[in-house]
Amino acid sequence: MSTTSTTDVTGPARPSVQPPTPWAFPAPSSDSLLDNGLRVLTYDVPGQYVISASLTVPLPLSTEPRAVEGIASLMASLLDEGTTSHTSEEFAALLERHGIAFSAGVNDGALMVDVDVPLRHLESALTLMAEALASPVFPVDEVRRLRMARLAEIEQERASAPHRAARELVATLWAPYERASRPTAGTADTVAVITREDIVDFHAERVGPEDAGLVISGALSGVDIEAVLRATFEQWRAPSHTPASRPLAPEVAANAARVIVVDRPGSVQSEIALGWSGPDRHAPGGWAPYPVIGYLLGGSPSARIDAVLREEKGFTYGMRSSFRPRRAGGLFLTTGSVRTDVTVESLETLTDILDPRGLTFTEDEVRAGVDFIAGIAPGRFATADAVAGEAVSLLLDNLPLDFTTTNREATMALTADDLTSAYAGIAPERWCIVVVGDAERFVHEVRDLGLGEVTVVAN
Amino acid sequence: MPLDYPTHTHVLSNGLRVVISPDHAVPVVTANLWVGVGSRHEAPGRTGFAHLFEHLMFQGSRSVASGEHFSALMAQGGRLNATTWFDRTNYFETVPVGALELALWLEADRHGFLLDAVTQENLDNQRDVVKEEKRQRYDNQPYGNALADVYAATFPEGHPYHHPTIGSMDDLDAATLEDVHAFFTRFYAPNNTVLTLVGDVTEEHGLALAEKYFGHLTHRVEPPRGRGPQLPPIAAPVRVDRHEDVPNDRLHISFRMPAEGADDFLAASLALDCVAGLASSPMVTRLVRREQVATTIMAHSMGLIDGSSLGLVVVDIAPGQDADAVEAEVATELGRFVEEGPTEDILEAVKAHAERTWLSALASGEERADLISQYTLLHDDPDYVNTALDRLLAIGPEAVHCAAREWLRPQHRVCVAYLASESPEQEEAA
Repeated sequence: MSTTSTTDVTGPARPSVQPPTPWAFPAPSSDSLLDNGLRVLTYDVPGQYVISASLTVPLPLSTEPRAVEGIASLMASLLDEGTTSHTSEEFAALLERHGIAFSAGVNDGALMVDVDVPLRHLESALTLMAEALASPVFPVDEVRRLRMARLAEIEQERASAPHRAARELVATLWAPYERASRPTAGTADTVAVITREDIVDFHAERVGPEDAGLVISGALSGVDIEAVLRATFEQWRAPSHTPASRPLAPEVAANAARVIVVDRPGSVQSEIALGWSGPDRHAPGGWAPYPVIGYLLGGSPSARIDAVLREEKGFTYGMRSSFRPRRAGGLFLTTGSVRTDVTVESLETLTDILDPRGLTFTEDEVRAGVDFIAGIAPGRFATADAVAGEAVSLLLDNLPLDFTTTNREATMALTADDLTSAYAGIAPERWCIVVVGDAERFVHEVRDLGLGEVTVVAN
Repeated sequence: MPLDYPTHTHVLSNGLRVVISPDHAVPVVTANLWVGVGSRHEAPGRTGFAHLFEHLMFQGSRSVASGEHFSALMAQGGRLNATTWFDRTNYFETVPVGALELALWLEADRHGFLLDAVTQENLDNQRDVVKEEKRQRYDNQPYGNALADVYAATFPEGHPYHHPTIGSMDDLDAATLEDVHAFFTRFYAPNNTVLTLVGDVTEEHGLALAEKYFGHLTHRVEPPRGRGPQLPPIAAPVRVDRHEDVPNDRLHISFRMPAEGADDFLAASLALDCVAGLASSPMVTRLVRREQVATTIMAHSMGLIDGSSLGLVVVDIAPGQDADAVEAEVATELGRFVEEGPTEDILEAVKAHAERTWLSALASGEERADLISQYTLLHDDPDYVNTALDRLLAIGPEAVHCAAREWLRPQHRVCVAYLASESPEQEEAA
């Protein structure tokens, strides 16, 4: 026994924890509807010197023409590459000279444009943001450049095991006629044929202020936001814009419950993705149980999965389970990588842990999970960026602006029975499973696990 | 805009430096500890040990069970983790203010009494976990070991930054329980640690809690290794080729730079950002936007304290373009910048970018606490969070030009090329 430590000194006793102070997600300082149909929320968050502006335009990916899927993503990435007032290089220089971080992308249901900027450059930032949305010109050189960049990115994603697994999972899980079964940013054959004219038309038809939402968050006290908006976003007009109808939840494929092995000879790990359809935030019975379930199953080193696969067996750096709500429907996803030679044992253990038959949550687990999910909210929403992101997601999902607060209260009221029955309601007996790895080293034994049909595909 | 985040600084009698930065905006507190030990302190044959040791800090201590540090704090709504880097190891949690005392008690127990609980079983388990981390993040990733190649080629054999923090599989396998005891005894002590509290706590209360929970730790360590002399720039270009199964050719171009702490590091990092860090930088404008021989170019500076920092430019080669030719164009742009210096516009843009990223980092209590710990532990300057921007913005074009001339000449570069094409030998064999 070592005597070098100072174990002879007694420290203070383990302290008790004081109950949490009440907390609510902030209410907007203003909530207005501009003449052009754009809803604008502002949140004054003192001490937040970088202002975040987040804009969402409802745009279900299912509106993309099948032959040019990925056009929404490519269009988004081109918004700041030249407008009727500025060339691509001028626009980039303007953003950078004002310290503006500009990003734009799409998810399953919307175009999202985000800007972060020091307060003193806020007006410039909103001016450029509105300009990028209202009058982009999509210069043909930039279309060619970013189309090439996207094609390169597709190859990079194919080389990355987590990306490759995710792509195969959605292709297997969702019915083939669902847009959700194919990559958000398109595939090589659809991206390669997108032309400037396609993008111009798509933008004119799909991007406009009606039904869109803008959230501006940060230390806004004393800022005349209305005047800034009058000079910027109120001028946004989109005469050809057709607001999108609300999306429907994607349907699961008839043969989704099976195993796909993406073969990568020589791979030192097996990347596992296991999923099924999950709820959106309008779920009957409420959204509250699902983040807690995700946390208890695979949200920490002491969650059910990592307690075994990481802390007991040392098979993985960590696996994570989470619910990923879409505007309509969603995904319950468990992912992570394990050493190649324990692939079979890991799959068996993982499917055992997640098997809904007989799965119950204990009251102690529920307390720990509820306290975590409810407890992290004040810290999680402390920055301007996080407030804007949350609020804009509420606008997009047509949720009330106090949803974050009421959902937290519902979380605190959850019982073990609530969680057990919510999980039973979404978890299948057999899952959609993808393994990216060296198939030869485990595929025969995987077939013996009874997880469904096993198919090997090339990387 | 002058910043005025409070940074109340105290030193306990056991040598623990405590910085308290009250911020009552939300009812949470971040506790952040930096220990002055990282991979630069590792002995030959024990690379990766500082990081493996960090994992063991979650496996229990005198009064805390294995895994309890995570579970006890997460059950209170805490978010926590730890990381290891060349110069330091940090441990941090953000908790509801009612759980601050528990957080400090848990930290003090492991920072004082880890060895009472560490076992061969825990060591073996976490060794396996770390090996999976290495496989996941490095060995099973395209380009995953590129930075390790960059460090090895940029810093000489035996230099503390020659090897990566993750270490090697052989060295991880070689680690013993005796190593754990020796490492803790050598490096983990209040006088080699900074504790920063940011959030809903007053100076008086925070200091009283630090004294209450850490005051009884009496172990002291000798000051860790000093800092080596500044390395000069690489004298002549170095090129390392890796032929791997990667999606496209990628160049990792690195430079030695001044050690972090003085304005010459800031000037060199501004210079690197000017030439290649922004969309409107000359190298990016010409090679990515106009000539389209590269799909992306990214640049950043890695501040390090022991005789050198690292500047890095990563270039993704466009399909059909020749990597050697693009490297030559990168060198041309570096040469032109060294010759001409920054334009007024690009320096203004780089400074505006730096201002926003600095303010964004300070926006969350977690990152603010981490930056305060960093500059307190490594530079004895807790107030740097407030003064950094003024120092950066005061650097003029001449100083940036001068830094470029000294550090970023094309002949000072190391180029680690990951090439999708087969190597000459492979082609012969095929």
